Amino acid sequence: MRDPYSVLGVNPNATDDEIKKAYRELARKYHPDNYQNNPLADLAEEKMKEINEAYDAITKQRAGGGSSYQQPSGGYGGGYTQQQSGYTPNSTYARVRNLINAGDLGGAERLLYEVPQKNGEWYFLSGSIAYRKGWLDEAMQNYSLAVQMEPGNMEYRQALAMMQQRGGGYRPAGSYGSSTQCDPCSAYMCFSCLTPWGGMCC
Amino acid sequence: MFGYVRPLRSELKCRDFDLYRATYCGLCRCLRRRYGPIAPMFLNFDFTFLTLLLWQPEENFTPCRGRCHANLLVKKPMCPDDPALELAADESVILAWWKLKDSAKDDGFFGGMPARSLALLLYPAYQKAAKLRPAFDETVRICLEELAALEQENCPSIDRTADTFARLLQAAAPPEESRSRVLTQLLYHLGRWIYLIDARDDLKEDRQADRYNPVAARYGPQGDDEALKLTLDHSLDFMGAAFQLGDYGCRGPILENIIYLGLPLVQRAVFDGSWAQIKKQKIWSNRQ
Repeated sequence: MRDPYSVLGVNPNATDDEIKKAYRELARKYHPDNYQNNPLADLAEEKMKEINEAYDAITKQRAGGGSSYQQPSGGYGGGYTQQQSGYTPNSTYARVRNLINAGDLGGAERLLYEVPQKNGEWYFLSGSIAYRKGWLDEAMQNYSLAVQMEPGNMEYRQALAMMQQRGGGYRPAGSYGSSTQCDPCSAYMCFSCLTPWGGMCC
Repeated sequence: MFGYVRPLRSELKCRDFDLYRATYCGLCRCLRRRYGPIAPMFLNFDFTFLTLLLWQPEENFTPCRGRCHANLLVKKPMCPDDPALELAADESVILAWWKLKDSAKDDGFFGGMPARSLALLLYPAYQKAAKLRPAFDETVRICLEELAALEQENCPSIDRTADTFARLLQAAAPPEESRSRVLTQLLYHLGRWIYLIDARDDLKEDRQADRYNPVAARYGPQGDDEALKLTLDHSLDFMGAAFQLGDYGCRGPILENIIYLGLPLVQRAVFDGSWAQIKKQKIWSNRQ
């Protein structure tokens, strides 16, 4: 295993608070919520596991290797499981879901197109495939149709709601939050310094 | 590639700005060395981003000094030669040439004159680059053919048209690398974003010239900024999520700046129309 301090990106002499802060920031970054239905979700999960283990190791080490270690309050357990609704296991739709989860979008698409009757579930799954492929407009249209056909289904509504508002994914701390206040004109002035004849810098 | 991928300089640290400039100058030098004096004409910010992204993660950056192509009297800090730099230079030439071919075709016989002559000038460089990176060249050709076919049939889906350009850019990632899943995902959404933002930028012009425009075909002649913004924002989110999973060493902060600040800023400028104004300004000098 890699050095737990370097996993969290902190100095081995860092205080407990600094370590907690670094851990929280990383956990916020790789939180499963940011990678829902994302084709890279497995990589994020690995990262999450790695930082959880590193934090565990450091806390244990600092507690003198004793068994008194407890999961920090407000920590991220990483207990993320894929949501599954109740489906008869043999139905085509269940197989399509499995294929989507396994990342075989081509197979899922082919199977889905064999279904003669299109219902809410069909459109929802079609939307999920499109979303994974990065065809976001198509995903939105299919989710809308799914909700129109079965307005009571919470899963479809959630998927549509996620498309209608910005994902709210992770943004780095610091100035990145307030980007709306930046002025484009002054920003482009900045490139002036890339001149071959050299402008002043900073 | 159209120059939409830029950092927001006011939010950069000095060392990151230096790194950016050294990469820009290094790419220029690499293009000159490999492809002669014409190729650096096609250097732009998008290719600089590609170079930064493809570079293997390094903890520290030590620039070397080299003579500036535009002004031979001046020596400037430049990034040293590197496989990533060469890859980005080769891909830049291939992309620039196909882009010229494309605009020459779009603008008719007389309108396409300038593009055609430039393409002719760049042809020897393109031939060399295509020989070095045959797979990438092939992908670009196929994707652009697909795109042309979709445009011909007036395709109403922004996803399908953008997908061709996204796959084209995706192919720029080196295939055998631990980061390749992350890079291909990031480049896919970058390609999608560039294609759609360019379509939005050209909306008015295409309407007047009665040309196909994917945004008009999907949302009607006036477009629908609200809906388009939503889908572009989602692509930016995907880019950010992919970015966070990769390791970029000392190039992380500048890439982060471009993805989280530069791209959203350009997007806003394209939507509110100030982009056209900004493009007219002399951004290379200190005068506005």
